[in-house]
Amino acid sequence: MATPTSPAAQDAPAEPPSPPSPTASFYDMSDDEEGGYSTIRHSKTGKGVKLLYTKSKVYVHPSPSAKDNIPGYIALIQQKPGLERTVSATPQSSRIHAERNGLLLAWVPESSLGSASDIYTKVELADGDSPPKQSYLVPPPPITTAHSSSLGTYAFAIPLTEIFSILVRPPSVGWWFGSVIINTRAGDSFPALFFHDSECQSTIQQRKKLQRESLEISASGQGMFWGGDEVLRWLKRYVTVERSVQEPNIYLIEPSEADKLSFGSGGKPTSDNVRNVLEGKAKDHPSPSSRNKDAQMDPVMQALKSARWNFLEKMAQVTTFTRRTAQAVAENKNLPPQVRRLLQNPQVQTVSDEFDSARLYLARWAMGIAEQSEREKNQRMWTAKDVLDMEDSELGEFEIVDAEQMSLADKRKPVTLKEWNGFFNSRTGRLEKTPDEVKERIFHGGLNADDGVRKEAYLFLLGVYEWDSSEEERDAKMNSLRDEYIRLKGAWWERMVDEQGTLEEREWWKEQKMRIEKDVHRTDRHIPLFAGEDIPHPDPDSPFAESGTNVHMEQMKDMLLTYNEYNRDLGYVQGMSDLLAPIYAIEQDDAVAFWGFVHFMERMERNFLRDQSGMRLQLLTLDHLCQFLDPKLYDHLQKLDSTNFFFFFRMLLVWFKREFEFTDILRMWEGLWTDYLSSNFHLFLAMAILEKHRDVIIDHLKGFDEVLKYVNELSGTIDLPSTMIRAEALFRRFQRMVEAIDKKSNFPIPTVRQRLPQPPSESTTTRPGADGKPRQASQSSSESARRSANLAVIASGPGPGSSSSKAGASTSGRERTTGDAIAQGIGAEKEKVISPELRILLSKELPKLDKHEVREHGGGVGS
Amino acid sequence: MSSRKKILLKVIILGDSGVGKTSLMNQYVNKKFSASYKATIGADFLTKEVLVDDRLVTMQLWDTAGQERFQSLGVAFYRGADCCVLVYDVNNSKSFDTLDSWRDEFLIQASPIDPESFPFVVLGNKVDVDESKRMISSKRAQAFCQSKGGIPYFETSAKEAVNVEQAFEVIARNALAQEESQDFNPDFPETIPINIGEENQGCSC
Repeated sequence: MATPTSPAAQDAPAEPPSPPSPTASFYDMSDDEEGGYSTIRHSKTGKGVKLLYTKSKVYVHPSPSAKDNIPGYIALIQQKPGLERTVSATPQSSRIHAERNGLLLAWVPESSLGSASDIYTKVELADGDSPPKQSYLVPPPPITTAHSSSLGTYAFAIPLTEIFSILVRPPSVGWWFGSVIINTRAGDSFPALFFHDSECQSTIQQRKKLQRESLEISASGQGMFWGGDEVLRWLKRYVTVERSVQEPNIYLIEPSEADKLSFGSGGKPTSDNVRNVLEGKAKDHPSPSSRNKDAQMDPVMQALKSARWNFLEKMAQVTTFTRRTAQAVAENKNLPPQVRRLLQNPQVQTVSDEFDSARLYLARWAMGIAEQSEREKNQRMWTAKDVLDMEDSELGEFEIVDAEQMSLADKRKPVTLKEWNGFFNSRTGRLEKTPDEVKERIFHGGLNADDGVRKEAYLFLLGVYEWDSSEEERDAKMNSLRDEYIRLKGAWWERMVDEQGTLEEREWWKEQKMRIEKDVHRTDRHIPLFAGEDIPHPDPDSPFAESGTNVHMEQMKDMLLTYNEYNRDLGYVQGMSDLLAPIYAIEQDDAVAFWGFVHFMERMERNFLRDQSGMRLQLLTLDHLCQFLDPKLYDHLQKLDSTNFFFFFRMLLVWFKREFEFTDILRMWEGLWTDYLSSNFHLFLAMAILEKHRDVIIDHLKGFDEVLKYVNELSGTIDLPSTMIRAEALFRRFQRMVEAIDKKSNFPIPTVRQRLPQPPSESTTTRPGADGKPRQASQSSSESARRSANLAVIASGPGPGSSSSKAGASTSGRERTTGDAIAQGIGAEKEKVISPELRILLSKELPKLDKHEVREHGGGVGS
Repeated sequence: MSSRKKILLKVIILGDSGVGKTSLMNQYVNKKFSASYKATIGADFLTKEVLVDDRLVTMQLWDTAGQERFQSLGVAFYRGADCCVLVYDVNNSKSFDTLDSWRDEFLIQASPIDPESFPFVVLGNKVDVDESKRMISSKRAQAFCQSKGGIPYFETSAKEAVNVEQAFEVIARNALAQEESQDFNPDFPETIPINIGEENQGCSC
C-alpha cells in the first residue's frame, strides 16, 4: 500500500493515510527548492517524492473474477537524490547515471491515495511529452524490490536500477487489456499490470490527439496506441531500454553487456533517442518524427501492420460485403481508430470491398483476443513466469500472421497431375510417399482444378482406393465396383417395375423417388453440367415431364436411387444431392461417382439420421469449442439464446455447400477429406467463419433471429483461402490450449495426435470407471474433489491408455444425453476442462456410425 | 425511429418438401419466382412491412426444410409464432394428407396458449399446373379446412402470382389479431441459465 513513510522506515508495514482532520488536506502549493518551479507537496511534513508521470486505471487482477480487479496508478516517481540508497544496491546500479538515481517505478492502488489522488489526476492529464514543469509531490510509496513481500497488497515501488526487464503484452481490439510485467534483478516478478485503456482519461486523450495528428490512412497507423506504450516511452527518457531479440515481448532495462549478448540485440547501438537522454539531453523535446517512432515502437506491430495491408489488399479483390454489414462495422465503437478512419474515408465508403478488408483485420485481432482472454481468465496471478510457461506451449498471438506467410509459401500451390503421378511408382503404381505426406500437400495446396488430377485423387481421398494399393489392385477393385453398381441399380429398378414389398415399402419408394427427382432438379443447376433440359423426360407422370431433363440430372437420379437402395436403413435424405453433385461433376462416370459418394456418406451419415443426433452432437461440439476459444462471444450468444448454434445447421449438414461457389467447395472438401489435422476440421472452418464476424455479432446482433439471418446471408461472401488458414490457426491454438491444460493438470497428455507414453501418476490410480459416474466428486477435501472432478471429465476422452476405438461411438452422439451436457456446463464453470466432445476434435479417425445404429435411427426401410 | 412500439408478426410456413414454401414467400416478399430455388436446409426468414387496417406491421416469414426429420430442431423458431401457414401441392395428394400432422406437430412444438384458436391458413399451391395433373379438388381441401374449425383456404400459384397477395393479407390480419389477443404474455425464460456470473472459468492450477 502506498502510504507516507519516512525513508528510513520504507520496508516497515505502513498505516493507511488519514488526513489530520476531516477538513485538512495533505497537500498544498509550495516552491520546489531544486528547480525553482512551483511545487505541490505534502503540507504537514513537507516530505514527498516528485511524481513525474502517472497513468490511471492500471489494474491488478488478483483473481479470475473481474470484481476482484484492483484499479491503481502506475507512476514514475523521483526521490531526492540519495534517498534510495536504503535499498540493497546491485553491482549494476553503481554504473548507472546519477540522474537516474532516485527514480522509482511504482504501482499504487487508487484506494490508498486519499486526497493525493487529485495530484495523481493532475499529473496524469498534464499535457505534453515531458515531465511536468511544475513539480508535484506525493507521499513516497514503500520501496520494494521483490514481489513476494507484497502479496495481498500488490502495491510496489521499485528503483529503476532494480528492474531487469519488462514483459510487454500489447492489447487487441476493445476488450482485452494490454499488460506489463516487471521482472526484478533479484529474479522476481511483480503481478501483471493491466491497462484498462478505455477507462483511462490520459490514454483516451492521447489517442484522440494521435488521431488528429494522422488523419490519413497509412500503413503505419497508430491506432493500437495503448497505455503501455507510454510507460516504455517515459522509461526511455531515463534509462536504456533494449528489446530482447529472443523474446520480442521483453524489454531489457539497462542491460549489461552479458545480458545484451544473451537476450538483447548483441550489442547493437540503442536508438539515438535514448542516447540523447543518457547523455543529459533529457530536456530536449524529441522531434515529431522520433516521437512517432516511439509511439509505434514495436517492430512486431509494425510487421503485423504491413503484413496486414498486403494481405488485405489481396483479399479486397476477391471478397465483397453487404452494405448492411459495412454500416454495422462503421458504427462499431471497438474499432481501432485507424480502421475507423479507413471507414470514414469517402473513397473507401464507395468501395464496399474494403469494408471486408477492415473486417478481416478485425477478425484477426479478435482471434488474438480470444486467446488472450483465455489466458487471463485462467490465471490467478500473472507473473512473468506464468506467461513464459504459456509461451513455451503456445504460439503467441501473431501465429495468424505466420499462418498467412505460410499461405504464400510453395506448399500452398495446388498439386498438379504431374506431381501426383510422381508420387507413385511408375511400374507398380504404388504410392512411394507416405499417405500423410500426400495428405499434407493436398490439405495445404489443394488439387489442380484443370488437369484432371482430381478425378484420380478423389478416389484415394474418399477411400474408394487404398493408399497402399497397386494399380493392378485398383483396376480390379473398380471392375468389381462397377459390377456391384449395376447390380444395385437393377435391384431398385426391379422394385420399381414389379411393385415389390409391402404397401408401406412401396409408398416409401415412391416418395423417395419423388423426393430425389425434385431435389436433383434444384441442385447446382447454375453449373453448366447440370444446366438446361435437352432430353425428354423418361417418365410421362413425373412433375418434370413437361420441362424435360438432361443426361447428368438423370445420372444424379440414378445414383441417388441406387444409394437409397444401397443404404436402405437411411435412404435418401435432403442435402445428399448437394453432397453428390461435386463428386459427379469431377468423375462424370456414374459408377465411379457413386462409390465415391458412398464413401463420403460413411462420414456424413450421422448428419442425416432421423433423430438428428449426429447434427445435435456437432452443434454441441461447436458450442463447447466456442466456449473454449472465445468465451466473450459465447456469453453474448448465450444472452441471445443462440447457443444451440442452429445458425450453423446448414453449413454443417452439407459441409458449407450453400455458402461457397462450386469451385471453392471442391478445394475445401479435398482438404477436409484428408483428415490431415482432424477428422472434424469442418468445425474449425465453422469457428473461423464465426470468429471473423464476432465483433459484429457482439456489437450489433440482439436476437436469435438476427444471428440466423446474418449467418445465412454470409453465403457467397466468404473468402475460402483465408478462412482455411484461420481455421488451421484456430485448430493449432486449440491443440496447444488442450496440451497446456493437460500439462497444467499434471496429467499425461492424452492427445490422440501424440501418443506419449503414460508415466505412472496418481491419475492412473484414481482414474474413474468408464461409466462416467465419478463425475460426482468426493467431498473429502475440496482439493481432491476438484482434481477428481477434473479428472473425470478429462479421463472420459480417449486417453493414451484407452483404446480410441470408442471414438466412433461417442461421435455419433447417441451416448451423450442432455444431462451430460448440463453437467459439462456446470463443470466448465469451475474448471477448464476438455470435454469429450472437444477432445475428439484432436482425432483424425473418421466418425463412422455402427451399422446397427443407422438401422435403428436412420429412418429408412432397412430390413 | 417511431416511438410507437413496432409490431412484429411471426409467421411459420410448413409443408412437405417441394410444395413451394420458399417460392410463395419469395413471390410475396420479392415479387419474384425462380424455378431453381434450392431445397431449403435449416431455416431462414424474410421480412416484409405491410399495412394492416392502417397499422404498419413487420411480417417475419419463416421458411423451413420440408423433410420431416429436419423439424426436430425447429422448436427454436416455432416459439412465439402468430400464425402458421400450411402449404400443400394440389398435384400431390401425399402433401395434402400430411397437412394434419404438420398442424399437430406445430401445435405441440410451438405450444400456443390457446391451441383451439391459434390461426392457421392453408394454401393449395401450384394451381398453374395442368388441370389433368390435379390430385386434390378445391372441395376436398375446403372440407378439410372446415373440419379443422374453419381454417381460411387459398389456392395459389407462386409461379404466376395467383392469390399470393390475397392469402398473405389474411395471414397478416389473422397474425395481428393473434398478437393482440395475447396482450401481455411476457416471454418467460425457457431455459435456466447454468452459466451465470461473468467469469465462469476458474483457475485449474
